[in-house]
Amino acid sequence: MADRRTRSMKSSNLSRTAVNRASMIALQLQGESSKLLELYRQKESFPADVTDGRLVSVPPPSSQLDTRDKLWRLHSALLQTQSLLERAITKEEEELGGGIKGEYENQRKTVKGRLSFLLLTTGNLLKAVDGAASLTPSLEGLELDGPTTLFQLKLWLLQVFSEVHHWSRAAVTTLQELLTNAADKQSSTTRVRSTRSARR
Amino acid sequence: MPKLICQHTLKLNCSFPWLICVLVNLLALNTHAQTIPPVPKQVSLSADLSVKELTISWFGGAASTFDLIILRTEFNTSVFYDTISATINQASGRHEWKWTSAEPLECTSLSVRIRSRDGLATSEWSKINTFRGRDLPSINTLQMYPQDRVVEVGSNMTFCCIVEEGKTFKEMLYGNTIMNVTRLSRRSYATTLVNVEPTGVSGSNIVCRLKDLSLTGAVMFVGYPPLPSDFVCETQDLKSAECHWKEARDSHLTGERRRTRYSVNSRNCNVDSQLTCRLPLWDGNWTLMAENSLGHYSLSDSAELIHRVRPVAPVNLSSIANAWNATVIWQWTYESYFTLDLNCQVESTNHESKTLHVFSGVGLRSVKLSGLHPDQAYTVRVRCGDQKYFWKWGDWSQTFSFKTQTDVPDPPDVWMWMNKDRTGLVVWKPLDYQQSHGRVTGFEVTLWNPEDVEQHTQILPPNTYSVQVNLTEMASLGVNKKVFATVVVKNIKGASPPSRVPLRFIDEQPLVLSKPVFTNNGFFLFWQQNATNTCNYLVEWLDTSCEHDCPVKWIRVAAGSTNVSIESENFKPGVRYNFSLYSCPSDSPQLIKRWQGYTQELVPSRSVPLSVKSQDSKVVITWGEIPLSDRRGFVLGYNVYISNGSELALLADALILEMLGALGTITILLIIVTFICYKKRNCMVHIVEKPERDFNKETLVVIPEEEEYFEKDEPVDTDEPMSLRYYNQVVDDRPIRPRFPGSSASSASSLDSGHTDVTYTGIQTSGSSLVFQPDPQGSSEEQPPEVVRYDGGYKPQMHPKVLSDDVVLKSSNPFQESEAASSVGYKPQCSWHLDSPTDTAETGSLAPSLGSPTSVASTQFLLPDGDGDEKNKQQPSSAAATWFSNLLLSSKP
Repeated sequence: MADRRTRSMKSSNLSRTAVNRASMIALQLQGESSKLLELYRQKESFPADVTDGRLVSVPPPSSQLDTRDKLWRLHSALLQTQSLLERAITKEEEELGGGIKGEYENQRKTVKGRLSFLLLTTGNLLKAVDGAASLTPSLEGLELDGPTTLFQLKLWLLQVFSEVHHWSRAAVTTLQELLTNAADKQSSTTRVRSTRSARR
Repeated sequence: MPKLICQHTLKLNCSFPWLICVLVNLLALNTHAQTIPPVPKQVSLSADLSVKELTISWFGGAASTFDLIILRTEFNTSVFYDTISATINQASGRHEWKWTSAEPLECTSLSVRIRSRDGLATSEWSKINTFRGRDLPSINTLQMYPQDRVVEVGSNMTFCCIVEEGKTFKEMLYGNTIMNVTRLSRRSYATTLVNVEPTGVSGSNIVCRLKDLSLTGAVMFVGYPPLPSDFVCETQDLKSAECHWKEARDSHLTGERRRTRYSVNSRNCNVDSQLTCRLPLWDGNWTLMAENSLGHYSLSDSAELIHRVRPVAPVNLSSIANAWNATVIWQWTYESYFTLDLNCQVESTNHESKTLHVFSGVGLRSVKLSGLHPDQAYTVRVRCGDQKYFWKWGDWSQTFSFKTQTDVPDPPDVWMWMNKDRTGLVVWKPLDYQQSHGRVTGFEVTLWNPEDVEQHTQILPPNTYSVQVNLTEMASLGVNKKVFATVVVKNIKGASPPSRVPLRFIDEQPLVLSKPVFTNNGFFLFWQQNATNTCNYLVEWLDTSCEHDCPVKWIRVAAGSTNVSIESENFKPGVRYNFSLYSCPSDSPQLIKRWQGYTQELVPSRSVPLSVKSQDSKVVITWGEIPLSDRRGFVLGYNVYISNGSELALLADALILEMLGALGTITILLIIVTFICYKKRNCMVHIVEKPERDFNKETLVVIPEEEEYFEKDEPVDTDEPMSLRYYNQVVDDRPIRPRFPGSSASSASSLDSGHTDVTYTGIQTSGSSLVFQPDPQGSSEEQPPEVVRYDGGYKPQMHPKVLSDDVVLKSSNPFQESEAASSVGYKPQCSWHLDSPTDTAETGSLAPSLGSPTSVASTQFLLPDGDGDEKNKQQPSSAAATWFSNLLLSSKP
């Protein structure tokens, strides 16, 4: 059965186990980034309904996208998110003070590590689908505009953390979709084989 | 107007009235020119937004007093209106005055007007000058002021929020607190924080929210100016200076821009977690300047270099180790230390035991550690300080480990056990690491006597700590010759000095055996000092029941000692131990004193071997002794009870013996038995039937009561059996519930039919168990008197709970109490508790002993013998009571 499952996604050289593994990592990141957001809101006494805009720019989702495009879109978004998160952490340490290692700081470190791991995993999936394609993060539009106040910096940090959470959820959804599609393809292939066998 | 009037008058006439008119007009003109100051011109406004300061300047002529009014432009509300004294700026020639706003100047536009004042006379107001706020229609964004402000703890701070055109203000929050708000203009709202407290990392947020949930805000840091303390400079390389200080309080100002910056003698110090600044040369005088957004603070220090030497840690430690000492060598990083008078500490650690050695010397680089032990691993570290002008200890060096060399072992601690048949054991104690001085490779045991050349030597492997000897097999040693055993320990370095012990059977028995006091700390033994004895002592102990090749333990005690406490993890409860004190154990051991005792006495592990024989109308109960290993405590004596299966009654108290007989009558016998049982002696009780009592199902029980054994003048043992004759004397007919402890279960199994039990009674009630309480309901004058059997040497230990009124008061014999109080002898440990007072009352005075954990019962059937029943019926009860009382009294020591 394990072999068959692997073969079911062989059309795109995508291991179902690898997708499932990536999905699990994304799920972990989703929970951890959610906690990070909560800790940050608590720390800064930000109301829960603070509106946040998008910082990461990728093509809009579409049902027309194939597996490769979906993976590429996800990986690109995660790359931008990682870049944002790293800059956010550096900026926060510089401008607002660091040195303290509390629950928030630990959670931030955990999320950073998990995001890197997810990126590595989705990068491998993308390579499996698209050969040796490598993506470099596009930092266009990610710069923090001009002179900014500390409050704006804090809002930007909130946006970055929200973006990590958003794209972790998106990763879970996308990877689950890939798994579902693979399962559907497998069942339809099995049906066709069964029909052919019956005719014989 | 006066002018016009004057001119008109001049035309009319030029006489005296004209002159008056002219004078009046001139006066009026003159007066008017003095009271109207000039209107201030060219008013200009400039602001320092960071400090909310508005600078107003104007040309005001010679006037020095002005009226100033400041209004919020949009709502035309006055925020300042007062008369001020303004000075002239000599460079510009303009009057200048500064006003500090409560709100940030960006919050809303302000309009300023000035007029000159000369006493009561004022000029016209100047034209309106407006300082434009950020709430102008042309700036249509959501804003908050001031931003990123750093303020001192306790300050008041006003923030304003300027909402966008068409948007509706909702609230301002400080943390989670909704603040009171003042509207400054159509779009501007302000709130004031009073007496602000220190903020945490990343500052505090003041948030302005609109109805559409959009928001803006500002971050504020509240903290303190720097407050350094304990600023000192010292040297380690005898050339440069290293200055240290502390911060007396947290500034609460975090972030690169807000943190406190330090400089020493105008050199910037890169300070991280360590508040330290290094200067290449020893200046002798230093000034520390600490500065942050809220202020600065300076501290000074000055000292001579030689007074501030904190040596560096010694490096490259090495050693030259011998068996009993070692030389520790180290190096200094700086050559300048070679001439430094140093005081050094060397800390050595061996088996988690630390020792601190102190040495001193010029340029100290090696020291000799003495008092070490052979074949031991030591870890050392070194630190030094200046000896002449001690400032501080330097840093500890890295630790360094070495091992001392081996040496020959110490002589072993040897003792022996000899059996009667000239066989025995030579035993010695294992050597610990401080005695073996290296790995033990074996032992050498030699038997010899001083008169013969021939020796018998045996080589034994390590981990052997005893060897069997048989002197009878060694013909050359002779039967009566004095034989010694010599034991030598060997390690890789060589053989230890020999230890010797004479081998002979020590058959001496002391006149008295003492009982040692046992506490949590062990058995406490004490003895009289013998002035003539100059030898050491040796205390030996072993399980009393051991007779052959006994695993004897011992301890050596210095000459002149009179006591010792014997501790061992191997002591077990219920085991009797022999303790023997010998003098001169290495040459000619002499037994000085012997003790026997238990750590804790337990119930005997088997019952008394019991037999019953009927003789005519009598029943003779005979029993033997419980083997020593099964006694598990000192036997106090025996009680005889009779049981009918459901009840157990002391014969002497209320025993009704029921026997089946040809006459079909039932005899009830009541006999109280308490007698002494000696070692190696059988005991007998004669029971005489009473025909009218039903003897059908009653049984006899014999209970050991007391072991007379210790420190008595009378002989310890006697082989004579003891016989008692009991009559059916009713003393106390209260029933005793048959309660059998677990250890006596074997004997309790026969309770389902008529039988006799021999029960070992509790040592907890040495006195009281033998005190027979008269029944308040059934007592009579014929009752035997209370009898106390008391052994002066041994006082069984009563648990405090036992000494409740219910029990102790029944032991009314004053002798018993006084003896118990003055007892210094052995007190067996016992955790058994008496039953509740209720139970005690139910069971009478026997309750504390019968069925206790320290008693055991043996049972035998009583078979009726009809002969003599009639005769026994005639025995007067009063006579029996008298006889029994006399018997008991006669047995009292």
